[in-house]
Amino acid sequence: MFDNRDRSLIVAGSIEEALAAVGRGATILAGGTWLMRDPRRGRPLPGALVSLHKLAGFNTVDIEADRIVIGAAVSHQELGRSLAGIAGLEAVVAAAASAANPAVRRVATIGGNLCTQDFSAADLVPALLAVEATVELQGVDGTLVIPFSSFLADRKRLLADMMLSKVFLRRDILASAHARLPLRRAGDYPVAIVSLALSADGKICAAVGSVEDVGRRWTALEEAFAAQPSGRPADAKSAEALAVESNDFHGRDGIEADGWYRRQVLPTLVRRSMSVLLNREVGR
Amino acid sequence: MTVSLRINGSSYRFSGDPMTPLVDVLRSERFLTGTKAVCREGFCGACTVDIDGQAVMSCLKPVGLLDGAIVASIESMATGDGPLHSLQAAFLAADVVQCGMCFPGMIMSLSQFLRENPSATRTEVKAAMVGNICRCTGYERIIDAIMEFLAMPKEGPVNG
Amino acid sequence: MDDVSATVMDLPRRDARDKLRGRTKYTNDRTSPDMLHAVLLRSNLPSGRIVRLDVSAALVCPGVLGIATGLDAPGNYGIGIADHPLFATDVIRYNGEPIAAIAAETEAEARAALAAIILELEPLAPILTMAEALAPGARLLHEDWRSYDVLSEGGARAGNIAWEAKSVRGDVDAAFARDDVTIIESCFTVGRQSHVPFEPRVAIGSWEDGRAHIEASTQVPWTVRNVTGRVMQLPPGRVRVTVPPVGGAFGLKFDASIEPIAALLARMTGRKVLIENSRQEEMATCLCRENAEITIRSALTADGEIVGREAVVLMDCGAYGGEQIFLTTMTSHTLGGSYRLGAVRLVSRAVYTNTPPNGAFRACNGVYNGFALERHTDEICAALDIDPLEFRKRNVLGNGDLGPTGQVFEGSVLRPMLERMEVLRATTGTVEEKADGRLYGRATTVGTWFIFVGPSAATINLNADGSATLVTSGVEIGSGTMMQSLPQIVAGQLGLRPEQVVVREADTDAAGLDAGVGGGRTTVSIGAASIGASAEVREKLLRTASEMLQTAPEKLALREGRVEIVDRPGSGISIPTVVAHAQATTGPISGTGSFTAKNTPAMSGCAMGHFIDALDIPVFVVHEAEVAVDADTGHVEVLAYRVVQDVGRALNRRAIMGQIQGGVVQGLGYALHEEITITDDGRIAQDSFETYRLPLAQDVVPVVADLYEGAPSMGPLGTKGAGEVPILAVGSAIACAVARAIGKPVSQLPLTPPRVLRLIHDREPAPVHPHIAASWAANTLG
Repeated sequence: MFDNRDRSLIVAGSIEEALAAVGRGATILAGGTWLMRDPRRGRPLPGALVSLHKLAGFNTVDIEADRIVIGAAVSHQELGRSLAGIAGLEAVVAAAASAANPAVRRVATIGGNLCTQDFSAADLVPALLAVEATVELQGVDGTLVIPFSSFLADRKRLLADMMLSKVFLRRDILASAHARLPLRRAGDYPVAIVSLALSADGKICAAVGSVEDVGRRWTALEEAFAAQPSGRPADAKSAEALAVESNDFHGRDGIEADGWYRRQVLPTLVRRSMSVLLNREVGR
Repeated sequence: MTVSLRINGSSYRFSGDPMTPLVDVLRSERFLTGTKAVCREGFCGACTVDIDGQAVMSCLKPVGLLDGAIVASIESMATGDGPLHSLQAAFLAADVVQCGMCFPGMIMSLSQFLRENPSATRTEVKAAMVGNICRCTGYERIIDAIMEFLAMPKEGPVNG
Repeated sequence: MDDVSATVMDLPRRDARDKLRGRTKYTNDRTSPDMLHAVLLRSNLPSGRIVRLDVSAALVCPGVLGIATGLDAPGNYGIGIADHPLFATDVIRYNGEPIAAIAAETEAEARAALAAIILELEPLAPILTMAEALAPGARLLHEDWRSYDVLSEGGARAGNIAWEAKSVRGDVDAAFARDDVTIIESCFTVGRQSHVPFEPRVAIGSWEDGRAHIEASTQVPWTVRNVTGRVMQLPPGRVRVTVPPVGGAFGLKFDASIEPIAALLARMTGRKVLIENSRQEEMATCLCRENAEITIRSALTADGEIVGREAVVLMDCGAYGGEQIFLTTMTSHTLGGSYRLGAVRLVSRAVYTNTPPNGAFRACNGVYNGFALERHTDEICAALDIDPLEFRKRNVLGNGDLGPTGQVFEGSVLRPMLERMEVLRATTGTVEEKADGRLYGRATTVGTWFIFVGPSAATINLNADGSATLVTSGVEIGSGTMMQSLPQIVAGQLGLRPEQVVVREADTDAAGLDAGVGGGRTTVSIGAASIGASAEVREKLLRTASEMLQTAPEKLALREGRVEIVDRPGSGISIPTVVAHAQATTGPISGTGSFTAKNTPAMSGCAMGHFIDALDIPVFVVHEAEVAVDADTGHVEVLAYRVVQDVGRALNRRAIMGQIQGGVVQGLGYALHEEITITDDGRIAQDSFETYRLPLAQDVVPVVADLYEGAPSMGPLGTKGAGEVPILAVGSAIACAVARAIGKPVSQLPLTPPRVLRLIHDREPAPVHPHIAASWAANTLG
């Protein structure tokens, strides 16, 4: 298990060094909170690893006039603290501040979380989808900036030879909300998540996590909202009713909950997040 | 791989698999068995230590990332025949310990939280303890002891 | 009641300081670099024949010094019957069953060598449910069941029924045939619960002067000693077991498990060997509280008299009988307990399946039998339109009433405890307003369990410095008895301060037989033995002092470290002076005591296949829960929880309250969160902290408790054990409260949010047990 004296761990000092290591087959070690559990799952640890935590721009959250720039090695805790109080990003703060438990949040990074392909219950995924984040990837052939949703749809292929380096958030979101449903009060992976975001043009984006294998936008609900008089539901209860009609999710069966349950609770989570969203909007 | 770090004030040079979890370095290499490896998944908190001022789960921390780090484990909270740390003294006074395996991790985890949140409410303390599991006590009496601890005037370690 | 005026109450525990400092060395902290590490080759099929097992290639792997298989440990062990080999030999019976053990210089080398073992298995279609096991013509999990050594006579067994216990009192058929009765029938299913002690099972074995020495995290040093001797087929007295502080147990460590393997490898290699379950192994092979299927039928008159009751309980013992063999006995005393019954017949069957063996977990089948009984009681009340609390007050067992096996109960305890709960509730108030729009429910439930009395021995050596050493086989598992009640009792008996009583860690070479720590028995059984030992010490002290003081012993007392003349404080001489004199004249002062069951009589002919016909020390609880249920998501929040517990006498209120808070929270886990399912390949699916949801700090409420003292008890100073029973009625209180909140029957635990939401939406199928025959007698072996 942890007895491989020939295993290498490089702390990359530059992007080039990191990319070269990845090119030679090294696995990226982010916070370690997922990878270090692999031996328990019967998976051997990789023989070569590279850590990005010393790379310039990977550890910082830069709040600029028209966007926020988040380095991929920023921890959940750091992200939550840096964005606290910024109007419109409440869903991202909630996702960062309520995932897992305090000690894991201190160490688990945004990049590690978004690049873990077999983790369906990631809080940040629907939150970033709702606020229409963009991401930057770095490869030997250059840099790519794409919508987060595109990254999500093509993660496996993109990450074969590129690294996630930054996440960008817009600053023209008026308010957002994040409703997560763990089975205990906290501390376990949520079985269903709804994130909503209201942008300056009056559009409401909705995203769902943990119900299907990969999080996605709830396009049918967004269209139902847009078709309402004044382009949005009158209140949380009518949002819930629209969610019942637009529920096109195929819930995944998991050890903690089956697909029926995940799907069944979605309209309630829409009601809860809409209620918070409308209060936030009023509070501005 | 070789890394140099400080553990409870002493220099230590580790040479071996960089992915060795810190908890195993502490327990097997340094014989510091106060830190417990219970779940090895980052849920129970029994392995919590302080690294550079942050409470960290040592079961998930590869030692290869700790070059230059300053690590403090439960053994550093009260040394020799000296006084207990005030949080330890609070738990002692309330007689809340049962099997005892969760307490080192609780103390390492809570001491940072309580330092940073000296006015925490009971609800906030419970939320901070989501990553510290206890199977014996049912939590409430531990939290009673913490609330008493927070209410006490602080003058440094108490000889409990 | 006995005089406790000389006994210090509420003693703080002496081991807390080192535990808080991380200095306490549990068994898995006692490793040294010269120890070998053992790892187990475990089956990854639930059933099959071993066609080929060849360890020769593994023996020459780097670092490997020895490999043990079933050939090295040919004996079977067990409770009631010896059906359990240390290693699978020709047949695999569960996924995770040990087949071989490798001892190597390092854990990594041992694990690497596993791959070199050649193992060929011929799979057999697994029998994963009790329904399959009981089906006519089902394959036998134990083909040679008839040839097994019977360790306790009297049980009925056949095929895949490992053990059957039944009790019959009165004419149940006549009761059901009456034309003035309503018949109510209920059906229940419960899953397993896993203990998850923070310290896993672990043992260090060495071979010293031709004997095995096992240092282990166990509740039962004598069981480990006896099982090791049996499986290794050693001459008597060749095994010694010592026990460091234990990091939690809750019943998981109430049986031998991997400990004998450490001894086996130590003899083979000549080195000290450590064997420790990884957390995954620990949870995958946990000796869980068993899953069970229950049907219960009662005949009630219109005014709520229970004239007849019958029940069938199927208990899944997993691949080997284990504790479930004994626990078939407890169905009578739990499902058949608590209420006054006209006629009653109960049968409880331990059934083999190709799943990990189950075992004992805090109040065992009392927990789910109580759930079934109290939900059934609520269904009775609904059918007859009787208030559930009034029904209970009217029908709970009282002084002179007969239990299901015909024992005559002493004292009315449950009814006054119900009344105390009403007083408690009036004091705390109720908190329906906290439901805040959610569905609200409140329920009060009762339960009966027992103190597991059984043999215990104690020796006390009185030292010239005024201290006393208490030598028993008691283990400190966390509940505190060894640190608190016992030194309190001994000090009180001998006029010492508790700090002057040294409590020696368990060592089977030093102390006599003990049935083990668990079952609420430590204060009672080891306490009683200690009082016996104290009596002998006191007698010797007073006799010596009597000569020194020229005063009759009857006029002397032990008080505050002195032998004093009664009613003349400060008179007489100090105990050290007396001891020193005795040592020089008659010899060092020591005393021994022992204790075992009283064997309270049952009614002749009532109980068959029972290990305990009647309860020497019953213990009762009344629990009350207030819950709020979110109708949209199925989440249950416990708003308030109250307990009235029958403690006999409380020697340490603070410690008892600690056990109540902890036990209730384990019960909340059982009732709401801790679900275990079995995969198609016979594994426990929830074998990690991620998938097995323990209650966390935000999932609990402060339990308010009233300790009911004064019920009859043969325990020392009138005590009853208080550490086990707090979990007993949580499943029933929560289930009944939730059923009332949602207005639907609750027939299965745990009440996870998905289950509750299914109940609300009428999507939860009611349990049916077609393999339980409608005619009661058809469910017995005759």
